[in-house]
Amino acid sequence: MQRPHTSATARHLKDNLGTWVFLLPTLLFFVGYQVYPIFRVVWISFTNYEFLSNDPAQWVGFGNYVEALNDPLMWDSLWRAAYFTMMFLPGTIIFPMILAILVDRVQQPKLQTLYRIVLLIPALIPSTLVFVLWKWMYNYQVGPINYLLVDVFGIFTYQNAPQWLGGTALTLPSIAVMEVWWGLGYHAIFFLAGLAAIPKEMIEAARLDGANEWKVFWHITLPRLAPIMMILVVLRFGTSMAVIDEYLIFGGFNRASPTYTWTMFMYDQAFNIGLWRQGFAAAIGMIGAVVMIFFVGILLYIFRPRG
Amino acid sequence: MTHEAAHPVAYTPQQTWFARNRSLLIRHGVIWFFMLIILAPLAWVLLLSVKSLPDSMRGQLWPRKFDFTHYGYVLGKIETLPQNLFNSIYVTGATVIITTLCAVLAGYALVHLRPFGRAVIFTALLLSLYFPTRVVAIISIYELQDSLGLINSTTGLILPYVTLNLAISVLIMRAVFQLVPHEVIESARLDGAGVWKTLWFIGLPLVRNGLVVVLIVNFVTAWGEFLLGSTLTNDQEARTMPVVLAAAQGGMGQWAWPRIAAVYVIVVTPGLIAFAFAQKLFFKGLAEGVVKG
Repeated sequence: MQRPHTSATARHLKDNLGTWVFLLPTLLFFVGYQVYPIFRVVWISFTNYEFLSNDPAQWVGFGNYVEALNDPLMWDSLWRAAYFTMMFLPGTIIFPMILAILVDRVQQPKLQTLYRIVLLIPALIPSTLVFVLWKWMYNYQVGPINYLLVDVFGIFTYQNAPQWLGGTALTLPSIAVMEVWWGLGYHAIFFLAGLAAIPKEMIEAARLDGANEWKVFWHITLPRLAPIMMILVVLRFGTSMAVIDEYLIFGGFNRASPTYTWTMFMYDQAFNIGLWRQGFAAAIGMIGAVVMIFFVGILLYIFRPRG
Repeated sequence: MTHEAAHPVAYTPQQTWFARNRSLLIRHGVIWFFMLIILAPLAWVLLLSVKSLPDSMRGQLWPRKFDFTHYGYVLGKIETLPQNLFNSIYVTGATVIITTLCAVLAGYALVHLRPFGRAVIFTALLLSLYFPTRVVAIISIYELQDSLGLINSTTGLILPYVTLNLAISVLIMRAVFQLVPHEVIESARLDGAGVWKTLWFIGLPLVRNGLVVVLIVNFVTAWGEFLLGSTLTNDQEARTMPVVLAAAQGGMGQWAWPRIAAVYVIVVTPGLIAFAFAQKLFFKGLAEGVVKG
């Protein structure tokens, strides 16, 4: 107690160290399997690293990037990812919003609860199980979709029944439909939270002033839901530009397939072809990620909070 | 506030019940249509799993003959299946426990222990949400696992799996711990409870809802992960259920359609049952941690 100042400092230091014990497990995993792999893959993208080759990797500067950017497949594959995003994004925002507005008006608490539980069910089905389920739904042999189109409604015959998956022109729209289904309930739950925050008096007052349904939606509901919509647009833009599992399961490694996007191009180069040119593959991945983050940045700028 | 209440209309007795309740009927009709779309694929696969083998090839939705033996068959007769199921349970269980522990400790520390440098950690976690690490960094994660001798190791999958949802889990726990007043934690500390006791007996019960969200989100991700699972393992015995199911081609024999549908139902049910029990806490937690956070 002779030098209280020092002991206070020491205790402070000890407290801080004790605190870091709480953060240590998170930091270990975060640095080991998130931060380090990102920096490592950036480094790999500047080398001629081939996983199966015994030769040590050489620094090649921007060589991989130049090669990738000169490859038409790079641009095609980026465009395919963008095309998928354009099909998927509007549906996954608009349908859940309509559904949420309808469910929000249900007066009976029990029905409300029931609807919300059903809404969340697809979100609780793990990703791959959603894909497998829809792979079977789209199957031309046992799938119920073609059964309805051919046997029940007679729109198609067995000869010309649509082949949904496997790299046909229909594959990306089919995946987009599946993804909209998957997010339908989960996104509706987000919108329901936003709707609950709108003061009921506001809507009532507007109605007394003679506003019709459409005006109430356009001037009150939509502006209040805008922040949630923006979060969903940014998040889903990111995930849909970087889809890979679905394409691996539905498309395969046919370079002409619409599902052969930049993620598939990267994966193919890294784990399938030749000596696994992971340096080149890493450059493809970085180009895709940079393009994606560039557009996420633009979206965040457009949606920035304004006074 | 409903449409009807806002527009008080003097009903004449001549109007039929349908005319008076038209907007109500349309609303519920549209909602039920959406509900049907959500539930139909699941109902179909459930039905497929109890069809007799000939019926499954015929295509009709409703089978002429039911056959409930497929569940017993797939668990008893497909050699690797119990192993794959065990792998999934093991990897998912470990991932959920480790991630949740990390998230609780870090979330608590970031809010109530206020360590030096917490803003940097928070920003790094937030930024990582925008980067497709799982996809782009799969090359370096493969290399890392290879250098640790963990390629084709089921246990090895746990390490990258923990990070899949680590950042979002910490951010959710941080958001729910912010709802716990600092005075509550302080007074427990002043009463002589240690840091750990305070967290376990005072903090945790107050963030129960957020904890349920973190548990379920991590379960769903790990239980269904495909990309890492199929890239980092090669042997059928080392693989998890999603990888096996994605590779299974429906057809004859072991993988006849009703049989793989039965496997599907076995894999998808645990999560739905868990949710059914935790549903109330989950919705509260979602409101506290995700929507506001």
